[in-house]
Amino acid sequence: MFIKNTWYVACSVADLNALGNKPLGRTICNQQMAFFKGPDGQVAAVEDFCPHRGAPLSLGKVCNGRLVCGYHGLEMGCEGKTVHMPGQRVRGFPAIQSYAVVERYGFVWVWPGDQAKVDVAKMPVFEFFDNPAWAYGGGLYHVKADYRLMIDNLMDLTHETYVHATSIGQPEIDESPCETRVDGEQVILQRHMAGIQAPPFWQMAMSANGLDPQAKVDRWQICRFTPPSHIMIDVGVALAGKGGFGAAPEHKAYSVVVDFITPETETSHWYHWGMARQFKPEDAALTDKIRAGQGGIFNEDMAMLQLQQVNISKWPERKLLMLNIDSGGVQSRRIIDRLLAEENNTPITA
Amino acid sequence: MNTTDLSQTPIAADGRFEVHLQKSGQTLQVATDQSILKVLQDAGHDAPFSCAEGICGTCLTPVLAGRPDHWDSYLTPEEQEKGDCIMLCCSRSQTARLVLDL
Repeated sequence: MFIKNTWYVACSVADLNALGNKPLGRTICNQQMAFFKGPDGQVAAVEDFCPHRGAPLSLGKVCNGRLVCGYHGLEMGCEGKTVHMPGQRVRGFPAIQSYAVVERYGFVWVWPGDQAKVDVAKMPVFEFFDNPAWAYGGGLYHVKADYRLMIDNLMDLTHETYVHATSIGQPEIDESPCETRVDGEQVILQRHMAGIQAPPFWQMAMSANGLDPQAKVDRWQICRFTPPSHIMIDVGVALAGKGGFGAAPEHKAYSVVVDFITPETETSHWYHWGMARQFKPEDAALTDKIRAGQGGIFNEDMAMLQLQQVNISKWPERKLLMLNIDSGGVQSRRIIDRLLAEENNTPITA
Repeated sequence: MNTTDLSQTPIAADGRFEVHLQKSGQTLQVATDQSILKVLQDAGHDAPFSCAEGICGTCLTPVLAGRPDHWDSYLTPEEQEKGDCIMLCCSRSQTARLVLDL
């Protein structure tokens, strides 16, 4: 079960554009959808099911803003109504499900739930997209694991020491206690490390920002979960004693790790990851370098989570431990469970 | 001999009506739980059909007399109002008799 009356990232606008006249088929919250650009260039999403013979519409192509089925040429419109079929009058065809979409921040967002409850005002707000003071680079992984395992993973960064030993991990993470608090529908978990050596990834970022990579630093990780499954993490290092997270920009290298986690099935998800930064935002080569580094690091998470899922699926009855480091994930899952209960007690109108 | 023109007579209260097939000269009774298509098939007529729910138009048949009661979603409201053709799979009759060009 998934929270469905909410906005999820379906794909990046760039990924959809790169397909040219091909639609994008993607399963979100167990619902098979086909994304394509309608007559005015706006993105539309319909059920990936041709009303004629059940073929996946995503195998077809887009022609003049219509999604043309790759089996017999049925032409589907943005609203889920068939607009044309060779040699056949279509006025009586039953409509298929269409889904509300919003293009924002370089992503296509979809509302997989009750279409009568679609609310654009519920779109999350981010200051770092479409903002020249910030640079953003990111990527997409298809992870064969329950999306909540990714939430657990990101709301507990002690794993960095072990999973990411060669890039961002360091023993001081384990040695510094974290603090978790819940603020309404937000879970905030933070850890601050004072007077340490920066790990390799941050030494690279310090050099890029004109700081001595060997200097002692204060390091922070501030993870913020908001439903349904967005996690923004303030991460960075500042020259020791300059105020840490609150230090002036010239003394630090810092960024926001951006995580949009979209459930596909109970045991798989689409993971749009990225990093937004305020230092050297105009440096596209640095954006690429950071993206490559982050992609490598997050690939390590993916490898771990997928094998964790294999284990859990093999032993579904085994209870897992929730330790002190897991409180961020525990609190995030509580919010998800509460919203799920609320959503499923409310009568569905469509 | 019955001198009443059943194709001008409103359908009976029980919903039964008859179809007369102009070409074969046959007259068939359509009960409330039967479609015209089903009655034709049971009588051995190989009437073309496909969706059987008034969408595809395959069973579209000209009406020569009587007034159809349209239940399809294939014909436009204007075409339905004209009353000169019918979907055998789902539509019925407003008159006690329908004469079809079959």
